[in-house]
Amino acid sequence: MQNNFILQVENITKKFGNLVAVNNVSLNVVQGEIVGLIGPNGAGKTTLFNVISGLFPPERGRVIFKGKDVTRVVPHVICKMGMSRTFQVTRAFASMSVEDAIRVGAYNRHTNKETLEIVNEVIQFCDLGKLRRRKCADLGLAALRRVELARALATEPDLLLLDEAGAGLNPSELGNLMDILKEVNREKGITLFVVEHVMQMVMGLCQRIFVLDAGELIATGAPEEISQNPRVIEAYLGKRAIR
Amino acid sequence: MKNLRIVSLLFLILLVLILPFFFRSNQYGMILLTTILLYGVLATAWNIIGGMAGQLDLAAGAYLGLGAFTTGTLLLRFNLTPWIGIFVGGLVAVLFAILVGLPLFRFKVKEVWYALSSSALVEVLRIAFIMWEKIGGPVERYLPNYGSALYMRFSSYIPYYYIMVILLFASLFVNYWISRSKLGYYLIALGDDEDAAEVLGVNVRSSKLKALVIYAFIVGLTGGVYACIYGFIHPNFFSSPLSTEVAILGIVGGMGITYGPLVGAVLLVSMRELLRANLGGQLESLYLVIYSVVLILIVLFRPRGITTLLQDTFNKLFSRWVRNNHAE
Ligand SMILES: Nc1ncnc2c1ncn2[C@@H]1O[C@H](COP(=O)(O)OP(=O)(O)OP(=O)(O)O)[C@@H](O)[C@H]1O
Ligand SMILES: [Mg+2]
Repeated sequence: MQNNFILQVENITKKFGNLVAVNNVSLNVVQGEIVGLIGPNGAGKTTLFNVISGLFPPERGRVIFKGKDVTRVVPHVICKMGMSRTFQVTRAFASMSVEDAIRVGAYNRHTNKETLEIVNEVIQFCDLGKLRRRKCADLGLAALRRVELARALATEPDLLLLDEAGAGLNPSELGNLMDILKEVNREKGITLFVVEHVMQMVMGLCQRIFVLDAGELIATGAPEEISQNPRVIEAYLGKRAIR
Repeated sequence: MKNLRIVSLLFLILLVLILPFFFRSNQYGMILLTTILLYGVLATAWNIIGGMAGQLDLAAGAYLGLGAFTTGTLLLRFNLTPWIGIFVGGLVAVLFAILVGLPLFRFKVKEVWYALSSSALVEVLRIAFIMWEKIGGPVERYLPNYGSALYMRFSSYIPYYYIMVILLFASLFVNYWISRSKLGYYLIALGDDEDAAEVLGVNVRSSKLKALVIYAFIVGLTGGVYACIYGFIHPNFFSSPLSTEVAILGIVGGMGITYGPLVGAVLLVSMRELLRANLGGQLESLYLVIYSVVLILIVLFRPRGITTLLQDTFNKLFSRWVRNNHAE
């Protein structure tokens, strides 16, 4: 890897029938940074994540992870290579306890015995100690989001995709989550790629932001630049807002 | 708590082992016990694919029939003892499972679609074996060597009972072992959400296939013994009602609980048989109505299975017992 990019997305196009959900999008993520992906509803953010993580094959373009083409590689292999993700609509393992769900992730790199250690470590890191024996089906949204983060961390990824990890959380839960994420990035050296609606979180967390609108990448830059970019304001608030 | 578990487990094992001595002169009782265990084995094996991996498999009859026909045919044609034949039967069932599982899981056939396709397999095999005159055909093929232990053709039910006991403990052990291994965690995870499991590194396809193969092997093995018990082979061994019943026992007993399907089999099969014995004569198939009503009630009020009801009751009694004994 001569260029330090952990992830390169090249000209990705993904269609659903006639609808072009992602249109010729190219972007790079540098090893070690926290980058954001924002855009109005239906812009194609989740779809792009699905393509990157291997759930949807794209019509056109390439996804390169750690210098290797993973465009048509299945998700569990991509996970072994060091990428995991969370989901916008939480997808907990309803019939499992919190610790068992995290253990599923831990098996990605560890044998039966070692997983216990990993699970304990991750549970402590994500502050899930009180909930560890609870069933995932019985948890509230904030806890579920933390469990999803925890089980993804247990796979020991180098790149973590978070799809609206802050959605539906109250301000204190949000602050909590941001602290954990900063620690994930700083202490574990995990690169974070986050889709986010909550502006407070994007602005506070990300070093760089990509903006997607109607499937197309319309802007890239630091948070301050993005918040003043006329095209971005237009996409979010409509044409008249610029004047 | 742990000691109590071990003690009650040992007690249960002992009970299962000495049970035949109470039924020695009662042929009907032995048939009933053996039948219960047979369903117990099948439902316990089903728990791997159905309970853990959450695939509503309705093809137990396919693997059972393949095991029976392999064992029976090897005995008829080559005079091969079923003590070996049943293992070949298990392998044939595995081969078939791979043949079926590869495309089904490759094309992500799941939920109702999986249930329907697996159910269709049973009927397809039944008809195929009726038409395949060389091996099957419409009439029974009787197995030779009646009364010979060497050929697993006992004249009493008691040895079959003990063979079923061995199969039962084997499949309970396999269940237990899987549930504590990586495969078990993977199966339960993918049963809950396949995509979420995939992005955590779970190879959904191969995990499902492993589950199907283990299940098919146990059922195929049991099928071989089944043929010896009946003393003949017939395409009706590829039975849809049996397949459905195995799944029902698994679901009603409690999905994903190691001994849940066994509890389901013990309670429901004995209830069904007793109802049939007592009502069958006067009011034909009334027993089926009662049986169905009980099933519906269980599913309505205990969607997680009757085993959870027993567990809850046991825990309540136990905690009361502890409280009373530590009160002073
Ligand atoms: N599986 C699918 N099948 C068909 N259309 C889809 C599918 N997934 C997404 N779409 C469509 O693709 C477009 C982009 O959706 P996507 O979920 O990627 O947007 P998003 O940016 O994540 O939006 P949101 O902010 O609401 O989460 C939408 O028009 C959506 O209806
Ligand atoms: Mg989305």
